[in-house]
Formats: sequence, structure tokens, C-alpha cells
Amino acid sequence: MRGGYDDETPDEALLSGIAVGDDRAVLAFVRRYQRRLFGLALGIVGDPGMAEDVAQEAFIRILRHAAVYDIRRGSVATWTLTITRNLAIDAVRVRRAVPTAPEDRVFLSLVSNERAPDDTAVMSESVRQAHSALASLPIDQRRAVVLAVMYGRTVSEVASMEAIPLGTAKSRVRLGLAKLREAAARMEAS
Amino acid sequence: MNRVPERSLECEALNDDLIEFALGTLSGRSRSNVLLHLETCSHCNVELDSLAAAADTLLWLAPEAEPSLGFETRLIERYQSTDPRRRVTRLRRASLLAVAAMMAVVLGVGLGAVFTNHGGSNNPVAATRPVTGRLMSDGQTLGEVTISSGNPSWMIMNIDTGDVTGLVWCQVTLENGRNVTVGKFTLSHGYGSWVAPLTSSANDVRSARIVNAHGTVLAQATFAT
Repeated sequence: MRGGYDDETPDEALLSGIAVGDDRAVLAFVRRYQRRLFGLALGIVGDPGMAEDVAQEAFIRILRHAAVYDIRRGSVATWTLTITRNLAIDAVRVRRAVPTAPEDRVFLSLVSNERAPDDTAVMSESVRQAHSALASLPIDQRRAVVLAVMYGRTVSEVASMEAIPLGTAKSRVRLGLAKLREAAARMEAS
Repeated sequence: MNRVPERSLECEALNDDLIEFALGTLSGRSRSNVLLHLETCSHCNVELDSLAAAADTLLWLAPEAEPSLGFETRLIERYQSTDPRRRVTRLRRASLLAVAAMMAVVLGVGLGAVFTNHGGSNNPVAATRPVTGRLMSDGQTLGEVTISSGNPSWMIMNIDTGDVTGLVWCQVTLENGRNVTVGKFTLSHGYGSWVAPLTSSANDVRSARIVNAHGTVLAQATFAT
């Protein structure tokens, strides 16, 4: 039996505490995720002020919906990241901000030919696996998938940004995602 | 062995749109068509979950970044100002939680296992949703107890009896009629709060109650079946 929340407290327990109005659970959850959510929002929208607005809104939604979180829909971490990503993409669209090419953004390392960052030794397992999975894709598919997943670009927009035919863009996204899925499955099995 | 749902010609035709749907970039009529198809196609539902999960792995790639000073404070204030469940006892509760936490650590190691070992279900199954009940006494609400979904599930209890101080016990009645003592904790000036892991399904618990050393029921919560 545990009387408080600490670094070892599972995410699901924090959400349960939030659901019953426990302030400590709220604080522990925010402290656990604020850097990751803000980092993701910043990577997508590119502006710190706008990214903070997005991260705040994401947190508010997560905290308000803590009671209805369904573990079958995936991990809490993925749930929070997905909410943040969707809000960030919506914010970019609504405010008519024009996301620049990935080369100019914080996701530069994702689409370059460079290897994963040198600090993989200190990365969490989830982050390390994500880097490995993306690195397994050819560079053109990597770019297409990152544009679609991280920046919410439609296939048509990917075609336009990459100056390639629509069919080619569809093919790159489809193949890239399929390989990403295979890589994720392999890592899951190993 | 589970059979993989068969793929139809319609699935084939919607394949590209399904990918965009999974990425959240499909709109308009194409999106409507995919939604309509998903209502009846188990193959594409499985495919959609798989594609979305693959895309979600990339979200971990974003590097962490430190928001500006005060981010946390602004967020908490905003949340508290808009949360309809906030109570005036919030500050009091927060200060007393430290006492409850310390006592729970001393008293509670392994107590969750009591429930695990003697629970009503031999085959723990995740609840379909969290269950929450109000801890009542003489028609008054003294607190709330929630059992989360998942495996293990978690029992979270907050109670404010107003005046009782001392050791109390939490007992639950399971679906099979069995009474189980989950653990004990301390009320300080009426207030107590703690979290306990449960590996049994929340659906197996029918009621929970807090009793004092004399066996007197201080408050009881009943869960809908």
C-alpha cells in the first residue's frame, strides 16, 4: 500500500489519483511529462510561446479525461503524446503558421542520414527503439513518414514539399509506415 | 489460434486512405468513407490500430525541452480554477497527505497483496472502466473511493470524517460475498488518503467501507453492478 506518489508510481495510478481530485497526483503527472510534452509541441510548432500554449492545453485535456482513460487504447505515455501532437498540428493549421521544412526544425536528426544521437545510452528504451525503427527506413521514406506523422502533412502536401508525384508520396508514406511497423514488431519480439 | 480477418476488395481500394486516416490527415468525403467501412470491417480495424501504433512510436523521438519558468504553476492554477470537482478542503488535504503517506509506507508494504491473494477472482481481468463510489455516512458524503481499470488496478481513497483521528481499516465485499480487509491507514483530524494496488478486477468489488478499531463502520461506498 502506498501513501504517496513518486517516480515509481505507474502512470495509471497517477491518472486514477487525478480522477479523484488528488492534487499530488496532478503535480506528479505534470512534473513527469512537462518536458516531453513541451518538447514535442515545440518540435512541431517551432515557437516556444505557442508550444507552451499547446502543452498547457494538452495537459488540461489529459487531466480532465483522466477518469476515462482506457488502458486498451495504449500506454498513458503514448496517449499523452498523441493528444499533444494532434493539438500542435491543429494549432499550426488554425494560426496559419507555416511549418518549415524538417531540415530547419528540431527534427533535423530524424530525417538526415546521420546515425542516432550519441546519447542513446542514456535514452529511455522507448526513445531508443523509436530511433532504431526510423533509422531502418530509406532516407526518402524517412522524410515522408516524419512529415506525415510529426508535422501532420497530408500525402498531397508531402508530394508538394518533396517535389514528387502524388503516387510516389503515397508509396513512400505507405512503405515507410509498413517498415516502421515491422521494425517495431521485431523490437517488441526481441 | 486467432484467425486474421479477411481482406476484401473494398479494403484494398481504401488502403491508402486508411493510412492517412491512421495518421490523422484524412478529411472530407474520404474520411467519411473510411469511417463507414470501419464500422463493418474487422480487418481494417486491426490494420488501423497497427498503423496508428507504428506512427505513435515516432512521437518518442521529439527531444525533451524545458518550458519557461512558471509553466507548472500556471498550468496547475488553470486546471484548478476550471475543475468543477475542486473542494475548499484542498489545501488541508494536501498538508495532511504527507502524514497519511508516511503511515502508509510503515503499515502498508504488502498489504495490497492481501487483496490479491484472497480476492474474488482467480483469473484477474481488467475492468472495462474505473469504478467510483461515494463514501457515505448517515446520508452525508465523506469521501470517494475509486478503483481504476487495468491490471493491476488501483484503489484510491480520500475520506474526511471531520473529527476522527487514529487507525482505521479498509474492508471490501467481493462479488462472491467474501469480506476482505485491504489494509489500514491513519486518519488525522478526520482526513486520510491512500493508494493501494489491486490485481483483481474492479468489477469484483461490490462495496468498500472504513471501520475503526471497534469495528464501527465510519463510511461505506457501494459500487453499481
